Amino acid sequence: MRPHNGFYGPFGGQFVAETLIPALDELEESFNSVRKKKKFIGEMKRYLHDFAGRPTPVYFAKNISEKYGINIYLKREDLLHTGAHKINNAIGQAILTKYMGKKRIIAETGAGQHGVAVATAAAMFGFDCTIYMGSIDAERQMPNVKKMKLLGTEVKLVDTGLKTLKDAVSAALKDWVFNVAHTHYLIGSAVGPHPFPEIVAYFQSVIGRESREYFESLGFLPDFVIACVGGGSNAIGMFHDFITSDVKLIGVEAGGTSLNPGENSATLAVGKKGIFQGTLSYLLQNENFQMEDVHSISAGLDYPGVGPQHAYLRDRGRAEYVHVFDNRALHAFKELTGLEGIIPALESSHALAFVIDNRDRFKGKNVLICLSGRGDKDFGIIEKVNLEDI
Amino acid sequence: MKGIYIVGGYPHIDKFGECFKSVVKCGYDFIEVGIPFNDPVADGPVIASAINETIENGISVHDIIESLIEFRDVPIKKYIMTYSNIVYSYGIEKFSENLKSVIDGIIIADLPNRMRKLFYNEGFKIPIVPFATLETREKDIEIIMNSDSDFIYFVGIRGTTGAKADFTSAELIEKIKLLRKRTDKKIIIGFGVKTADDVKEAMDIGDGFVVGTEAVRRQKDIDEFESYIESLLEKISS
Ligand SMILES: Cc1ncc(COP(=O)(O)O)c(C=O)c1O
Repeated sequence: MRPHNGFYGPFGGQFVAETLIPALDELEESFNSVRKKKKFIGEMKRYLHDFAGRPTPVYFAKNISEKYGINIYLKREDLLHTGAHKINNAIGQAILTKYMGKKRIIAETGAGQHGVAVATAAAMFGFDCTIYMGSIDAERQMPNVKKMKLLGTEVKLVDTGLKTLKDAVSAALKDWVFNVAHTHYLIGSAVGPHPFPEIVAYFQSVIGRESREYFESLGFLPDFVIACVGGGSNAIGMFHDFITSDVKLIGVEAGGTSLNPGENSATLAVGKKGIFQGTLSYLLQNENFQMEDVHSISAGLDYPGVGPQHAYLRDRGRAEYVHVFDNRALHAFKELTGLEGIIPALESSHALAFVIDNRDRFKGKNVLICLSGRGDKDFGIIEKVNLEDI
Repeated sequence: MKGIYIVGGYPHIDKFGECFKSVVKCGYDFIEVGIPFNDPVADGPVIASAINETIENGISVHDIIESLIEFRDVPIKKYIMTYSNIVYSYGIEKFSENLKSVIDGIIIADLPNRMRKLFYNEGFKIPIVPFATLETREKDIEIIMNSDSDFIYFVGIRGTTGAKADFTSAELIEKIKLLRKRTDKKIIIGFGVKTADDVKEAMDIGDGFVVGTEAVRRQKDIDEFESYIESLLEKISS
């Protein structure tokens, strides 16, 4: 799926300050030139393999499959270095930054997984690095804040707005306008102005490609491919190589505590079209055209927008988007931990929850779920809820 | 062209109205009225917090548009400054229909020059003011000239509103020279003008200026506001 003039159907575009346009052009030109170069691809593959630990396995989760009568396969992005799919994009864009000759990297982070991945890549490639993080997110994902600092990154806490992911993106965009000449904004999801959604999808598409190779070696494709959707990077990476197949694609958003305004981040379920942080897509806004408050138990899904590719796949009817409430995500978290000995990220738990909560629909089917990250970062949140009651 | 930016409806509709009239009274040529959006990526802390306070006070986009319509016949050029989502989600064509006889143009902070055509294609009939920046390249000038706006908005800094511009910097002066060579549209210096000295320098190198942050900082106190915007004009002859 390639954009046309920066748009996927009606979605996408470049809605940013004029000052950033030359930087976006430079990024697009560099990306289009390196993506075909053997040297770049070789370097990327080597770091993904030797440093990040690719390829990741697809695991047939026997116990949970048996319990629910569904064949559940997990794509184990949680096994990657730094614990989530975010490292795929961080390494790819860091190498791209090197090719562009820039010396400083900035990024936003919600759950801290992208922040840690970028801080890690920055340490390894020798970039100066600043990460913006909402102060509420920093509090609920404290282990990741400590990791970023250990890695030599400056963590700037953002105290404006809701003090979560949206505000971290705004702060990073402002930094970029100030420092655009020598700084690359290493955005963490398939959001923002063109060419970011395309670049992030490109670097994450390795998830779906490896998965497809695995199933092809078994001689069949899964019936369903399912991933959680925050901004949409693990989902678009997972979907990418299945879009032209007839595998059913399902993205799972965070239903939070309810679908009432301010209590979820289910952008495709209850959002309207609008323009936000660089892109035309669906977003959560109120009747006064202001961004709505958002909530999710998982910091990585807590975003009022969604990447333009997902808006497009949804409106074309190619993918289905659903939502899962906080307590059901916690239930799935508990199930996977207890049955399979795998502690999933709360983000990824949403994808699993949709499957086990709709077991009739998936009965006997082969379902591939993206286990986008591991859950140790979530202990602060888990400690506050009583898992016994879930 | 001398201009002042104020946040529409801040802190309340009546106070905003007083400031609006004061800008006219002090002899300014144009006023820019900000319509708040709660993700103001182009704004520094002063304007961002005024925007958020306005929204928290329950002032809606409709309220501000209505008060602009009320001021339709006040003799001053009127511009709206806002963000893409406000126009898009209000309805591109509806926004245009309701305001095209009220305002002279619109500045949309997150709508770069190349994206304006998206709005025009959807039936937007109000001139969208083009931007020039310190990053503007030769090849960007075509699209700037190709505009129905009566001026170019020159962003003299890399940063958000509230930062200070350096009007003596070689790069800034070079950029303005480049624009002059290619277009005879008026060049208005936005972002970074704060004092009577800045105003003088801006008028020397450009055709006008707009002061935002320091005006908004005083928007709650009409006396302070008025004496400030008066003082800005002290060093130039009108
Ligand atoms: C483990 C994990 N999964 C999913 C996400 C959501 O992001 P995206 O939708 O871009 O994959 C995050 C974001 O922080 C994450 O850490």
